[in-house]
Amino acid sequence: MDNIYDTIIVGFGPAGFAAALYAGRFAMNTLVVGKEFGGYAAKAGTIHNYPGVKNADGYELSKTMKEQAEEFGAKFYDGEVLSIEKKDELFLVSTKDKKSFTAKTIILATGSERRKMGLPRESELENRGIHYCVTCDGPIYVGKDIAVVGGGNAGVSAALLASEYAKKVYLIVKGDSLTAEPISTEKIKIMRDKIEILYKTEIKEFLGADSLSGVVLNKDFNGSNKLKIDGLFVEIGSLPVNKLAKDIGVFLDDHGYARTDFSMKTNIAGAYVAGDLCNAFGSFKQNITAAASGAVAANSAYYYLRSLNK
Amino acid sequence: MKSVVIYSTNSCMYCRMAKDFFRENKVEYTEKDVYLDEKARNEMVKMTGQSGVPVIKIGDEVIIGFDKATIKELLGL
Repeated sequence: MDNIYDTIIVGFGPAGFAAALYAGRFAMNTLVVGKEFGGYAAKAGTIHNYPGVKNADGYELSKTMKEQAEEFGAKFYDGEVLSIEKKDELFLVSTKDKKSFTAKTIILATGSERRKMGLPRESELENRGIHYCVTCDGPIYVGKDIAVVGGGNAGVSAALLASEYAKKVYLIVKGDSLTAEPISTEKIKIMRDKIEILYKTEIKEFLGADSLSGVVLNKDFNGSNKLKIDGLFVEIGSLPVNKLAKDIGVFLDDHGYARTDFSMKTNIAGAYVAGDLCNAFGSFKQNITAAASGAVAANSAYYYLRSLNK
Repeated sequence: MKSVVIYSTNSCMYCRMAKDFFRENKVEYTEKDVYLDEKARNEMVKMTGQSGVPVIKIGDEVIIGFDKATIKELLGL
């Protein structure tokens, strides 16, 4: 049989990279497979709350995490995992480009994907006025009027970042307050000339033929329920990417997150989870919690393999 | 070698991934920053009908996003 890895880690975000670093240091024969380099960390712009790195550039931080894991022997393969099967106590991993790999343990760090609004024409207008990454596409709207949907950390950070480019930013919030960290909400309050917060407001419809020209709101704002904007950035949370976990029979909770305990193990022997795929730290999903859970998952996989070798 | 042009923004990580990829593979490219360069911004939107970055033009082929497989194929890498 071809090379059997001690562990295959699926996911190129901070959870996967941290798991790879620890697995490498445990001298485990480690392969990391992923398709989206860096996950949300790489798209985050400047990261202010990762200990030990002041004002970290998310993309550079991700590259360093990967390099650090490589230095300790972890191998990386750039590809989308389509399926995982457990057979004879081994995990068989198949990728879109028809490669297959085998491992004694698996660590799923597949992360999450942006929650969409679920309104008609949302897909049609994606990148035609509707965007999901301010760091990427915010600068396109230099001097324009835009809106950001979402009052949590992601929404408020996006509004603050977008205000560096846009002429006017409307922050559309479903509730009656912001739920982001106080350091961000305080910043946004002093920028009220540029960032206007519309509380208890929801978007009901998108306007514009070939590209977005505005949105219809659930209530009047400045005398009309139509808000004219050039761009809209959606930051309303995320959903776990759990298909592979489901494939191998990992139990999920009611919201689709992989069930785990403090050791990051699952109901499937040899299968571990880390990062945004699970709720190990509740709804508190940060780079530091993702990395921590990746380290724990690698540690658990290591001791599981040792117990098998007794 | 075909000409390679990337329409990008400085903060976009897919743009940075694409540029890293070109550098690693010794592919020469021209960068058009659509934040700083209004003409390039309009050119990109006119060419693709959309405003997401990166847009990568290889010869006459236009690719929206960092589609590594297509880029490799077009460049024969």
